[in-house]
Amino acid sequence: MMKRRSSTYDLLRDHGVDRRTFLKFCTTITAAMGLESTMVPAVVAAMENKPRIPVIWLHGLECTCCSESFIRSSHPIAQDIVLNMISLDYDDTLQAAAGEQVEEIRKRIMKEHKGGYLLAVEGNAPTKDGGVYCTVNGESFLDILKETAADAKAVIAWGSCASHGCVQNAKPNPTGAQPVKKVITGKPIINVPGCPPIAEVMTGVLTYILTFDQLPELDRVGRPKMFYGQRIHDKCYRRPFFDAGQFVESWDDEGARKGWCLYKMGCRGPSTYNSCSTFKWNNGVSFPIGSGHPCIGCSEENFWDNGPFYQRLSAIPVPGIESTPDQVGKTLTVLTGIGVGAHLVSHVARSAAKSYSKESAPPAGGEEERK
Amino acid sequence: MANSAYRPLETGCNYGRKYVWELPVRVSHWVNAVSVTMLFATGLYISDPILAPNGEPYQHFVMGRARQMHFLFGYLLLFSFLLRVYWFYAGNNYARSGFPRVWKACWWKDVRGQGLQYLRLERGHVHLGHNAIAGLTYTIFVIFLGWFQILSGLALYSESNPGGFWDKMVGWLIPLFGGSFTLRMWHHTAAWGFVVFVIPHLYIVLYDDRQYKNGLISSMLAGFKFYERNDLDHDRWIS
Ligand code: HEM
Ligand code: HEM
Ligand code: SF4
Ligand code: SF4
Repeated sequence: MMKRRSSTYDLLRDHGVDRRTFLKFCTTITAAMGLESTMVPAVVAAMENKPRIPVIWLHGLECTCCSESFIRSSHPIAQDIVLNMISLDYDDTLQAAAGEQVEEIRKRIMKEHKGGYLLAVEGNAPTKDGGVYCTVNGESFLDILKETAADAKAVIAWGSCASHGCVQNAKPNPTGAQPVKKVITGKPIINVPGCPPIAEVMTGVLTYILTFDQLPELDRVGRPKMFYGQRIHDKCYRRPFFDAGQFVESWDDEGARKGWCLYKMGCRGPSTYNSCSTFKWNNGVSFPIGSGHPCIGCSEENFWDNGPFYQRLSAIPVPGIESTPDQVGKTLTVLTGIGVGAHLVSHVARSAAKSYSKESAPPAGGEEERK
Repeated sequence: MANSAYRPLETGCNYGRKYVWELPVRVSHWVNAVSVTMLFATGLYISDPILAPNGEPYQHFVMGRARQMHFLFGYLLLFSFLLRVYWFYAGNNYARSGFPRVWKACWWKDVRGQGLQYLRLERGHVHLGHNAIAGLTYTIFVIFLGWFQILSGLALYSESNPGGFWDKMVGWLIPLFGGSFTLRMWHHTAAWGFVVFVIPHLYIVLYDDRQYKNGLISSMLAGFKFYERNDLDHDRWIS
């Protein structure tokens, strides 16, 4: 390009963000990434010196809640920080350009930064009928996604849609919507699930990539370990009530007023990996459990299909069986009981009949008993 | 050699006694029986904690205790299973008698014979090892189901220590089953399999014990089974 691409700090200065705010942001985000405070200078240095990473941000089949969450990134008062932290060169929802210009920009970035840009994907691609259920500018999103991913350095799958499929991909999935990992192969994919993901998590992931020039360490399902390493349940402030055995039984009972554990109201905290119980939402104000609502497991695979949300276990995911494990188990137990009972009854009846017919004969085989 | 093991005492006596269940088999049986019962009870409690202690949380540890017990018996079951696997190889032929020999005609014949015998309420011949149907149910309902419970249980257990030992060993099971929620559901569903097994197991053990009068139940305690000349249905597949 013409000159050195400006760094994040350069841009922030241009936008009138003072140094103090900038340093505060760096400190917060360092802590959010789970790094020691000694790493703050490294983050500051990266922000000051490293050219911003070019990012293409695509929108597929989605509700845009990830963007909504992202632009509300809490810490810096100036939300510019977030928007400018990376070089958001293309985002069909947020950018000023429109129409053909837009597509031109995308093509240009892909050429100029071949192999160097990040592809951020919000939403996912319907794959049925050639992808016609989501088209941009006459092209199917499926094709756009594949085309743009081909020369990307890495792909970030924002939110549950891009990571796992979310509601579009829930049964019966009429459009064949598939998450990024099912469409793109041979590229590193960072899944940042959540519906939406927490803003600090989103900025944290980007800051990490910018600071260390490498992708964060991922877990088995491709999520950054630093934000998705633990369950909601393990950091939940209601956990002492769980261990004690004190549970809310209905929305307006005594336990609900006392803030007891929401496990019996269907809380998915014990099987959900996310940062809500640490970062919370909306500038750390609260999070669902904090407001007395169970976690619905929005960052987990198939969470829509695992309903109803206010029930601890859902129906067994086998077609034709619309029952919970306990209903199935009890039915099988009763059937087994009936079978055994029938055998016992016929055995007793048969012995009675035999001994009746042999009334006159001496009883047989009694002498073996010697136990 | 195998034959002499079955022959009634050389003296020409009509009755014999044979040491079939060695100590590890018996120990593992009773550890299994106790653990499975406790695991089922504590597991159902975990899934629906009905006690509601009053007061402050620091005064109670009800759910915590139920989970602790569940994990304790979970570990016991694991060690018992490991012991039994080892003894499958190290033990006597009877320790292997339950394995379904689906490739052997005589095994299928015993499935048929034993099945008909139960259906017709007849008294068949005594087996020294497990009869084919018994062995089949132990394999399906205890070995397969048991290992599934142990592995899925350990995977759920590993969630409280991400990156720890059990996470490395069995954590991959979680995504394989489509997430922690679904795995729990299968763990919970499979728990009922043991009930479905135990009901007929207890019934048949009592029934056979009464029919054969061969000390069947006490054989799981002391290890010996009794038999009468010409009353043995030789477990032909084990020799
Ligand atoms: C009081 C309850 C029980 C009694 C009296 C009992 C009795 C017996 C007896 C007599 C046998 C030997 C049967 C034969 O020769 O084929 C046996 C085998 C077996 N039982 Fe039980 N049982 C009880 C509970 C259980 C439970 C709760 C389980 C596990 C869920 C269980 C699992 C097994 C297994 C796996 C074997 C095969 C043993 C081996 O080859 O290692 N039993 N039981
Ligand atoms: C016969 C064997 C077992 C039975 C019948 C059994 C049964 C159950 C049941 C019914 C649940 C409740 C599931 C739910 O509704 O969420 C459960 C939970 C659980 N079981 Fe087991 N289980 C067995 C073995 C094991 C083993 C060997 C382990 C390993 C340590 C284990 C670990 C767990 C864990 C970690 C949970 C979840 C507890 C929690 O999140 O608080 N289970 N089990
Ligand atoms: S409210 Fe949910 S996440 Fe919190 S302790 Fe209870 S079950 Fe766990
Ligand atoms: S608490 Fe659960 S459902 Fe709510 S946002 Fe967090 S992960 Fe999603």
